[in-house]
Amino acid sequence: MAARGHVQDPNDRRLRPIYDYLDNGNNKMAIQQADKLLKKHKDLHCAKVLKAIGLQRTGKQDEAFALAQEVATLEPTDDNSLQALTILYREMHRPELVTKLYEAAVRKVPSSEEYHSHLFMAYARVGEYKKMQQAGMTLYKIVPKNPYYFWSVMSLVMQAISAQDKKLSQTMFLPLAERMVEKMVKEEKIEAEAEVQLYYMILERLGKYVEALEVVRGQLGEKLTSELQSRENKCMSLYKQLERWPECNALSCKLLLKNPDDWQFYMSYFDSLFHLIDQGWEPPSEGEHCSEGEVRSSVAQAIAFVEERLAVEEAKETRPLRGPFLARLELIRRLRARGCPEEQELGEPLELMFQYFIKFGDKPCCISDLKIYLDLLTTDHHVQFINRLMETVPLSEPQDDGVALPGDTRALQRHLCVAQLSRALGLHHALDTTGKLDLIRQLKSHYRHGLQFGKSCLKTELQFSDMYCLLASHVYIDLWAETGDETMLWQCLGLLEEGLSHSSSNAQFKLLLILLFCRMGAFEPVVDLYSSLDAKHVQHDTIGFLLTRYAESLGQFAAASQSCNFSLRFFHSNQKDTSEYIIQAYKYGAFEKIPEFIAFRSRLNRSLHFAQVRTERMLLDLFLEADLSSSLEDNVKSMGLCPEEDDIPWTDMRDNRDLTVLTSWDPADRQLSEEQRSFSLQEELLWLKVRFLTLRLVGTLAVLSHPPTPRNAEKAAENGVVAKPDILRPLLDQLNTTLQNGAQFLERGVQYPFLGPSPTRLAHALASGSCHCQVLAFQLAAYVQELDAAALEETTEVQTQISNSFKSLLIQLKEILNKCKGDLLEVKEGQCKTQPTLLENLVFFVETVCVVHWVSCFCAGVLRPLKASLQKRKKKKKEPISATMVVFSGFQEFTAGLQSLFSEVLDHIKGQETSLTALKLGELTLEEVMPAGEEAFVKLAMDKLRSSYLRSLQELGDLLKKRADVLKSLKI
Amino acid sequence: MRVPLPFLHECTVKMTTLRAFTCDDLFKFNNINLDPLTETYGIPFYLQYLAHWPEYFIVAEAPGGELMGYIMGKAEGSVAREEWHGHVTALSVAPEFRRLGLAAKLMELLEEISERKGGFFVDLFVRVSNQVAVNMYKQLGYSVYRTVIEYYSASNGEPDEDAYDMRKALSRDTEKKSIIPLPHPVRPEDIE
Repeated sequence: MAARGHVQDPNDRRLRPIYDYLDNGNNKMAIQQADKLLKKHKDLHCAKVLKAIGLQRTGKQDEAFALAQEVATLEPTDDNSLQALTILYREMHRPELVTKLYEAAVRKVPSSEEYHSHLFMAYARVGEYKKMQQAGMTLYKIVPKNPYYFWSVMSLVMQAISAQDKKLSQTMFLPLAERMVEKMVKEEKIEAEAEVQLYYMILERLGKYVEALEVVRGQLGEKLTSELQSRENKCMSLYKQLERWPECNALSCKLLLKNPDDWQFYMSYFDSLFHLIDQGWEPPSEGEHCSEGEVRSSVAQAIAFVEERLAVEEAKETRPLRGPFLARLELIRRLRARGCPEEQELGEPLELMFQYFIKFGDKPCCISDLKIYLDLLTTDHHVQFINRLMETVPLSEPQDDGVALPGDTRALQRHLCVAQLSRALGLHHALDTTGKLDLIRQLKSHYRHGLQFGKSCLKTELQFSDMYCLLASHVYIDLWAETGDETMLWQCLGLLEEGLSHSSSNAQFKLLLILLFCRMGAFEPVVDLYSSLDAKHVQHDTIGFLLTRYAESLGQFAAASQSCNFSLRFFHSNQKDTSEYIIQAYKYGAFEKIPEFIAFRSRLNRSLHFAQVRTERMLLDLFLEADLSSSLEDNVKSMGLCPEEDDIPWTDMRDNRDLTVLTSWDPADRQLSEEQRSFSLQEELLWLKVRFLTLRLVGTLAVLSHPPTPRNAEKAAENGVVAKPDILRPLLDQLNTTLQNGAQFLERGVQYPFLGPSPTRLAHALASGSCHCQVLAFQLAAYVQELDAAALEETTEVQTQISNSFKSLLIQLKEILNKCKGDLLEVKEGQCKTQPTLLENLVFFVETVCVVHWVSCFCAGVLRPLKASLQKRKKKKKEPISATMVVFSGFQEFTAGLQSLFSEVLDHIKGQETSLTALKLGELTLEEVMPAGEEAFVKLAMDKLRSSYLRSLQELGDLLKKRADVLKSLKI
Repeated sequence: MRVPLPFLHECTVKMTTLRAFTCDDLFKFNNINLDPLTETYGIPFYLQYLAHWPEYFIVAEAPGGELMGYIMGKAEGSVAREEWHGHVTALSVAPEFRRLGLAAKLMELLEEISERKGGFFVDLFVRVSNQVAVNMYKQLGYSVYRTVIEYYSASNGEPDEDAYDMRKALSRDTEKKSIIPLPHPVRPEDIE
């Protein structure tokens, strides 16, 4: 901001210190300096605005706004004020005010190029496409520069893209844009590549592919030079749209001859090939095949083409390219899918894949290359295939433990690739328990042996043998899943800890440790692991779920709040950030990026994770951080929660989770399927809905509990008028429906791969009984609301319902509590056993108690004045209204019951803490089950787990104690 | 600038789809960016490059659909002073796609784009300690033009690290004037 050109203007000189203060973050001094200046120069408007910026940045939004409006109403036309106001409005998230500002400015100075251009950008920031179109044209009329004209054209395109009515786009906006460009073409005024790019975009969107092709291949197309192969790529895409398969075919071959390694062109070549065959295409008897040259349209030609490419590679002295070799497998697959016998001419897949391995087996990517084609092998050839590969790997004579080892990193990589391939073929899964344990033994042996090759590796590098360690971990997990034997998980944890100690930046080790610790109920170690991944910005959206899924459910509330905050900060800055770059894209003529940026912004705004962290953050506030001494109403208000409003874009939610971030070499049928992906999203949405409705219901209690003045209460009681909007019931109905849908979903028994998405809390929540208990609590609130609204005499029925609810609530809470009893961690017969479900249930209990607590506060708020007014009437009229006593005494019994539940759960927590602390993990002898070297790492993991459990218990206990204290003061 | 990629002599094995990086790739690049030397920048940083130099932001995709690596760069400098050049801002390849020469291929593309734009040279910054990357760039024809003192500010109490500013002359710089090494190291505030 301080970077200003000339300093001749005395005002600039006067303002300079304020700019400097603001730039250095010294807002207070900036305000003082501005005040000083304003005393001398009352009319120096910019000083006022700068002061307002200072105020805004020190949290005095209202004052800042008032001051800014003082200046804005004067419709300033000086640069300083305008720019300062622009900055201020942006910081206030009020970009629409900037448009007003410059609208006024151009009215006063209609010939200013600068102000018109600012006005255009201001419209761009808020997406006023129609006004942008006009502003662009006005600019062009003032200064006939091409970019202005095309800004206007692009704004038409944006109107087309954003129009609800797609017909309008096709018949009005886009044709108009097309005509505007055509005019420039006719007048030969096209100057820049961006202009041609925009023309292409318009024609493409209009479906005028023939015209687009003419542009790209014609003189205008010569301007498309920045991007590599820009014209070729555009032509290719147009040929596909136009189904001009001969051209597509010929161009693909041409490009492959130039670069036989570019995979996309093999794909387009094969696509075109089979289209041509299906169409029965014949080359013309004379002349060129098509405008792109020679077409290779028969299977024989395709086979020949691929084999020619292969021959070139085989003849090379340097290492051959991978492309042609994989293309051969791809062609076999496609021929086989069509039942073409010619497939055999290319060779036997097993043999070809074997040869591929011989050529490229020492590359880490060999596994990703070959795994796509493993389905070409028949099941009965799997073992044979692996054996053949293994025979070629140079290994030592078997060592004492019977394991033969590689002598260098290339041999290691080859051997590793075979191991990865066997897993991908399902051979690991087919082993029985003994076989799997032996496999683990071998993999570990290879892992540890391989470490010697990486002694000189830097901390930032991976070890050559790391992937053996990961493979062995996967087999441990298989064993655990099959047998339920928890020692497998412990050993897996130990192995990964060992791996991390040798390769401290291996993200895969960390990710799997995170997953395992969470599944075992320990969140504490996850915090450090995740933070060492250094995940930032967009990664909050893609892998933030690793943190937020478990932090809260495992009772680590402080960490949960923090993780939500990280993510929220990212999402909140998105809106402002993206808008700035949409503007930049206009400036630099990167027109194709504008719709892309807008789609990106919307993808982030509609992110599932965003909606989740927003909801959970507010729930956490209500459960934990709410100021219990002030009213629920104040708390809800300070959170900015509006319970009447459903602002989650349910129908168009984007699942941005990176669900394949954990490496997996599992066979295709065990990998995360599209169906499982969509189930996972469905489940997440159901659970989010439960949580969001819970949040809104608690919020509703706040809206309902405006303390009624005694007169109103009496009036309501007399007239029986329902004074408050009934939002509680509809929300409660929705919650009930959602819970039913949730139960139905669970009946399907959807399972996800271990390395894929984790299930939500839904199943546990329903099993623990907490959902239904919370429903009951809200139901109670609804009854109490009814009681409040009706005349006392007519409420016998509702009073009975209230009394019954009090009783059943206590019973249900007690039932949840019973599901928390038991030992989280115990040592039995030299083995460590965990029961993380107990911890999760305890968290459900705590959350439910919090909801019940807010409901109790609401009840007390309603019952207190009722009782008071009743006592008054009793004194006056001396009539006994004994029925109401049921509710009052019921409430007292209820709070007393809650008190004793609190003591019970606190005792339980204390007991757990004592027994966990007393567990002597150090003395556990694990030698019988594992080698001594591994024991230390397993014990390290055990200690982490215990420490984490203790921390969770402590957080839960502290929270309950806080609530228990407040409960004591809850009297009517 | 960070790169972990040795074994240049085998630089011919890439087999890839090379295409323009788009916003949606930001959701898929974890396998590349979870590397400790690869920085994940804020959204504005990526958007700035995409808005201003989209042709300089290229991603490589494997046949299985995984992202293999990407390069991000820009063109800057004064033409009049013969300082107009291509700059490599970030180059990174996922661990399983290393040792294929992919980084070399991506560098080649960036150089070609810079040639077309009439640049005099291509430059990049690399940690002095990142010997693997320094050697790779040397093999690609880059040489150390100058050392920039404490260019990389360190967190967690470790000392700041120096950077090499490495350059390779393009055909427009016929006399290779742009790469004559400076005799003395410079400070970060002295570079443009």
